[in-house]
Amino acid sequence: MLSVSNLHATVDGKPILKGLTLDVPAGEVHAIMGPNGAGKSTLSYVLTGRQGYDVTEGGATLDGEDLLALEANERAAKGVFLSFQYPLEIPGVPALTFIRTALNAQKKSRGEPEITAPAFLKLAREKAAALKIDFEMLKRALNVGFSGGEKKRMEIFQMAMLSPRFLILDETDSGLDIDALRIVSEGVNAMRSPDRAMLVITHYQRLLDYIKPDRVHVLAGGRIVASGGPELALELERDGYDRYAKAA
Amino acid sequence: MAAVKQTVEQVQGLEKYKHGFSSDIEQDFAPKGLNADIVRFISAKKNEPQWMLDSRLDAFERWLAMDEPDWAKVNFPRIDYQDSYYYAAPKEKVGIASLDEVDPEILEVYKKLGIPLKEQEVLAGVVGSPRYAVDAVFDSVSVVTTFKKELAQVGVIFCSMSEAIREHPELVKQYLGSVVPVSDNYFACLNAAVFSDGSFVYVPPGVRCPMELSTYFRINAENSGQFERTLIIADKGSYVSYLEGCTAPMRDENQLHAAVVELVTMDDAEIKYSTVQNWYPGDPETGKGGIYNFVTKRADCRGDRSKVSWTQVETGSSITWKYPSCVLRGEGSSGEFYSIAITNGRQQADTGTKMIHLGANTRSRIISKGISAGRSSNTYRGLVSAHPKAKGARNFTQCDSLLIGKHCAAHTVPYIEARNGQAKFEHEATTTRLSEDQLFYAMQRGLSQEEAVQLLVNGFVKDVLQELPMEFAVEAQKLVAISLEGSVG
Amino acid sequence: MSVAAAIRTRDVGELPSRRDEDWRWTDLRGLIRVLPDASEAFTGTLSPGPFDRLAADHHVLVNGGDARIDVAAGKKTLVALRLVSRGVGAHASRVTINLGAGARLRLLESYESDGASVCQTALTITLAEGAALERIVLAQDHEDAVSVSQAEVRLSPTADFGQTIVASGARRQRLETRVVHPGGRASARMDGVYLVADKRHTDHTTVVTHEGVDGTTSQLIKGVARDQARAVFQGKIIVSEGADRTDARMGHHALILSDRAEVDAKPELEIYADDVSCAHGNTVGAMDEDALFYARQRGIPEPEARAMLTEAFIGQVIDRIWFEDARKVVRKWAAERLRV
Repeated sequence: MLSVSNLHATVDGKPILKGLTLDVPAGEVHAIMGPNGAGKSTLSYVLTGRQGYDVTEGGATLDGEDLLALEANERAAKGVFLSFQYPLEIPGVPALTFIRTALNAQKKSRGEPEITAPAFLKLAREKAAALKIDFEMLKRALNVGFSGGEKKRMEIFQMAMLSPRFLILDETDSGLDIDALRIVSEGVNAMRSPDRAMLVITHYQRLLDYIKPDRVHVLAGGRIVASGGPELALELERDGYDRYAKAA
Repeated sequence: MAAVKQTVEQVQGLEKYKHGFSSDIEQDFAPKGLNADIVRFISAKKNEPQWMLDSRLDAFERWLAMDEPDWAKVNFPRIDYQDSYYYAAPKEKVGIASLDEVDPEILEVYKKLGIPLKEQEVLAGVVGSPRYAVDAVFDSVSVVTTFKKELAQVGVIFCSMSEAIREHPELVKQYLGSVVPVSDNYFACLNAAVFSDGSFVYVPPGVRCPMELSTYFRINAENSGQFERTLIIADKGSYVSYLEGCTAPMRDENQLHAAVVELVTMDDAEIKYSTVQNWYPGDPETGKGGIYNFVTKRADCRGDRSKVSWTQVETGSSITWKYPSCVLRGEGSSGEFYSIAITNGRQQADTGTKMIHLGANTRSRIISKGISAGRSSNTYRGLVSAHPKAKGARNFTQCDSLLIGKHCAAHTVPYIEARNGQAKFEHEATTTRLSEDQLFYAMQRGLSQEEAVQLLVNGFVKDVLQELPMEFAVEAQKLVAISLEGSVG
Repeated sequence: MSVAAAIRTRDVGELPSRRDEDWRWTDLRGLIRVLPDASEAFTGTLSPGPFDRLAADHHVLVNGGDARIDVAAGKKTLVALRLVSRGVGAHASRVTINLGAGARLRLLESYESDGASVCQTALTITLAEGAALERIVLAQDHEDAVSVSQAEVRLSPTADFGQTIVASGARRQRLETRVVHPGGRASARMDGVYLVADKRHTDHTTVVTHEGVDGTTSQLIKGVARDQARAVFQGKIIVSEGADRTDARMGHHALILSDRAEVDAKPELEIYADDVSCAHGNTVGAMDEDALFYARQRGIPEPEARAMLTEAFIGQVIDRIWFEDARKVVRKWAAERLRV
């Protein structure tokens, strides 16, 4: 699935990623943990093609295809989805309009037929119900005036609607109370399948109680400095990142 | 509620315009009126070299051909430029060597104003308290500059403009008029012809000026104008903080103050320029008298990453016409403007700033707080512009007006010119009156109306006050209190 | 000095210049060396106007002339008013509109020029007590035209005035509205949209003078400038002495979508009363790159994402149009000019 090798990237000319190597096979969930400023969000932006995040060395492929050569929307069409740490407000664009435009643009890019309006609405009702999202909210401008928790739920809703293959969750637990966290996690877990993979970026172990990872990696100083099973997350929760910060 | 108590005590302890006394000091005057001979007289009085006189005469010629600007929202009878003295100076023995030789009456004036001119007085203060060097300008001349020697040890030149013209002609020639050209505007042009004195500062590369520099301007003589000229140059990587304070006696005639201030910053240099302007505002009932404060202040941020910050507390003058500006030429240079302008009685103020973004990634920030009371008029006028080359320019402007009373006026006139697609300008402005709910809330807790107003107004201007150097902030807060006395009820 | 006088006398000295504070960014004196001859009378057939489908009552002025629209007290009507310029001449038009007490008028106004004409329209609009006027203006001028529209609006207490001026610019295009607002629970909405491209210019100038207590004004202007186009917004709200409890809000937000486009703004407040609540906000800048990336991360290609975001940006003004059918026409009109 995703293969990242010796990735170096700069932001405003400042090196942030310094030789990051990572493999996430299909069907697996990997967690990336690390102290603040380690480069966690940078990794998610580099993989999704945000402007200003420049790759200076190394590469990243999805099923063998070079990701870095593609535009942001082309990567999305290939199935790369980023759940933003701070989802954007899009004034004037109703959530449903936004998602339908995105879904059809992806389908078009893949040479698939567009989804019909009735089919789209049926799908939206189904997924909204599963995530306990009031359907009326979907008619409002996307994320405008939504609470932090509502925004995160809207990210997972979009994820369910767009049905991506490779999911990146960037600090999805931040700003969520325990009930919202459960709903969001259930939404994510429902997406787990043998042909999908996930990268769960988080500072705290808490989220991993809900979304169980197959592997845990520690990102510090722009590199993966340790990898292990789920027990590594618990160890980090107990001992903190100090050890790795020094190693970096 | 310690702050409230302090404010209350301040209010009780102050008269309306405490700097309104005048002093009988033997003065030298130029003959009344303005012509080329007066210009020559001023130049001769200051023992200026020929090039300076030539420059003054040239400015005078140009000024004759110019018209007084009329676009500001201020109303006043036409100024008779022939009915004023353009030079007034305390009589002095030739070449004052030490403070002991300064006329004791003048020293008394500065003592009354609370400005320390004797270095030992400053040193005798509380241990660890910040020291600041003072240039004292009395009518048309600088009477004394303190701490010159100590500053010279680190290479900082701090002296009167007259002295700089004599002692540092190469620097003056290079920079004077390079930021505000002679014919920039009517009042600046007049200043270029007849400027009297002011401060000159040069901070060499890499030097962080070890103390605050300050100038106290005092207009004492009757019927005289003050035309000070200040030039501050911060060379590469240097830093200086400069303060100016202004007062004048209460007089029935209007007096003209047309100053020009030029700032230059080279790469990575920073100048912080603070003003507490408390010229006599005229009679609050009749509007008679007071200073016409027509000032041109501009900074040229020539160097990359250089920075200029203007902070002003404007409470005095009958008419204020003043727009401290920044020309953001250097790449990544930044300008700031923090202003409190208070008008009461019959005062009129038209003040603001210009932020001219010429270089890439330049930044500017404007915070303006205007308070109008009595029958006064208070206008914020500002320009923010980004030229085609100013890619990535950013501006944020917050412009708030507060009205106290039924007969005052508050105006906001921003000009915004964005000439490229990579500049980002944000501007917010509000006009409100003092909230009766808040006033009632404070009074219900036991504050008098006046105290409650003080408290709320202090809150309104807090963002700007905190930009001032500490000792000035205290003074400014007191000024705010006095300026608004009697504005409610 | 006025544009109308200049057209009448053919004296360019009558044209406003950059020295006139109100015209500092729309200098006609410096632009026009010689005024063209008076426009000839038009005899051909006109192509349909943008609102033809919606209105029953039509007023069409071609190359100048006078029109009068009276709505009697208590009556309700829908009128299309077309100010058409054919050819390259100069001409002026005058329109008088009176609404009686409680009358309601939906005015669908359009400016349509097809060449390098110089034209001016003066509108005098009066609303009696309780009257309501919604004025929707589409200014679709020719790129070589100089087009000036100047409306003087006088409101009575409890009247409702709403306008949305949508413009695509011209060589010089000025859309000016001056409202005398009596307070007295009368309300004014002074909206506008501009979409300028190429080397076009547009100027939205509004002045609202509050003369009595309890008046409200709300204004939202949004625009998009691309290529080497230039847009000007001058909005002024005056609150006279004694006009207490005035509530006035003004917002101007512009997107500059090219390196060489220009937006000039002067949102002005002139306040002589203390019991007021007035505010203005102004933003000028490029499109929000974060929002653009967000849309693209969801799979929307860049041109489409940009179009979607600009339409949404403008749409917030169009949504404020009261008359739904006109809202649809305007939305379509704007979309056609954004998707290029």
